[in-house]
Amino acid sequence: MTNTGTREKALPYILVLPAFVLIFLFKLYPIFYSLMESVFVNGTFTLRTYETLIQDSTFWHALWVTIKMNIVMIPLQIIISFCMAMIVNSTVKGIGVFRTIFYLPVTISLTVATILWDMMLSPNNGVINSLLSVFGIPAQGFMASKSQALWSIVIIATWKGCGYWMMFLLTGLKNIDPFMYEAAKIDGCNWFQTVTRITIPLMKRILLFVCVANTTANILLFVPMHLVTQGGPQDSTNVLMYEAYKSAFKYGNRPRSSAIVGVLLVLIVLICGAQFKLLNEKEERTDG
Amino acid sequence: MTMRKHKSLKTTMMYIALALLTIVSLFPLFWGLSASFRSDNELYKYALPFSFHTLIPVQFTFQSYMDLFIKYDFLRPMINTMVVIAVVIPLSLLVNSIAAFSFATFEFRFKKGIFNFALISFMIPFESIALPLYNVVDGFHMVDTRAGLVVPSIANGLVLFLFTQFFRDLPSSLIEAARVDGAAWPRVFISIVLPSSIPVIVTAALMTFMDQWNAYLWPLLVARSKEIRTIQIALSSFKMERVSLWSCLYAGSMISALIPLFLFLPFQKYYVQGITSSGIKG
Repeated sequence: MTNTGTREKALPYILVLPAFVLIFLFKLYPIFYSLMESVFVNGTFTLRTYETLIQDSTFWHALWVTIKMNIVMIPLQIIISFCMAMIVNSTVKGIGVFRTIFYLPVTISLTVATILWDMMLSPNNGVINSLLSVFGIPAQGFMASKSQALWSIVIIATWKGCGYWMMFLLTGLKNIDPFMYEAAKIDGCNWFQTVTRITIPLMKRILLFVCVANTTANILLFVPMHLVTQGGPQDSTNVLMYEAYKSAFKYGNRPRSSAIVGVLLVLIVLICGAQFKLLNEKEERTDG
Repeated sequence: MTMRKHKSLKTTMMYIALALLTIVSLFPLFWGLSASFRSDNELYKYALPFSFHTLIPVQFTFQSYMDLFIKYDFLRPMINTMVVIAVVIPLSLLVNSIAAFSFATFEFRFKKGIFNFALISFMIPFESIALPLYNVVDGFHMVDTRAGLVVPSIANGLVLFLFTQFFRDLPSSLIEAARVDGAAWPRVFISIVLPSSIPVIVTAALMTFMDQWNAYLWPLLVARSKEIRTIQIALSSFKMERVSLWSCLYAGSMISALIPLFLFLPFQKYYVQGITSSGIKG
């Protein structure tokens, strides 16, 4: 009797234990490990890794490239996804098929997306340049050009990513009571007013989720840099994530890699914090 | 009358927008498919000036697909990936569903804390821990083994969360009736809870499949040998090592793209619902 009693009591813990151990070991402990590795060199506490890092111009350049890319890419993707969600929220015939089509790039791996776009954007034989030639535009360098490579990567990630965020935003749009739109119409709101005063405030929660998730996904973008540009031409696509990878697996400098990962995590927390603040302020304004 | 005109104009604009987005979404896939049926020397012949044959092959050929499998052994990375997926899916379903069952059914100390701990793990993007994770996995001597691909992927905060949500919504009378009849907990779980959870099982399995099939950074780090290399890494090394075999690379890309696509299409409702619910309830 007591035996079954303790077993009953232990059961919830036993069921949770495997997941708990695996999550701890493989999801949370690595962060702790990387933090320790960046501040302990040969068993003694030191900030030398960080000191070296902040004196390193490569690091600052990579930080700048990461910020530059994301300042453009995150708003771009959210605006496009929002427009797409508004479009596929309409009730025209066959809209379900279009939703599926717009989602297809999401099911494709970033590797394949990069391979396809890299060849389409090829400076000499790419189909995009032959399309441009129809309009009399000279051939562009794209991935091979110092000034265009980063933006070519933005195009690839945006093509692959927007359908995903569209689905979240669409669910948010569908949850809005149609009565709200009716009321706005009666009050004489135009389309733009309806979007900014009703749709966006009512979707605050889901927008916040999309902003945060999109930020974390994009800041850590890695595949196109590894597969095509190797950070080049002339370091123009050398983002922090790629620099962290190179530090650990090319230069064998694991503390440096860990320190860069730490900087990336801080960056993500800062940007997400800013987004929280921004969207919460919006709420206060609409409340008042 | 003007009202109707206004409405039809709006519908037309809508269709134009839909058509443009369709072209942008599908063109790279169409381009890749078309290129995979070309021979290498035809591939760039018609690039300039732009014409019908820039887009459609002059001579359809399956040569690149044949070469891919016969000369370059592309089947191997595909099987490797399938093996990993075939092990990860059941283990992940088991580990995450029993934990979720516990969270949804029982009251116990530290429950909230442990649950939040699991939730945090799915908010941390995998790429940010991949590099330090390598060192942890190295400590277990799992680098360059299949275990290195499998073990860290089993526990999944998102899958755990989806299962917990689903189990919470199951009518409690279902479980109580079985308990009154004297069924033990394992029996309740296997013969009552799981059979009513098919939708969430499908979602979780599909999500795991997509994640594993499309994974890049992690297999790049821990599965380097040719013997255990996964499909995306095979494609990437194909691109880096055999620079001139464009049509084979296209053929491999198409195979990599089409397999998850055929799985996704019949189950898309489950999949999309599962994914978006994490953003709404989470």
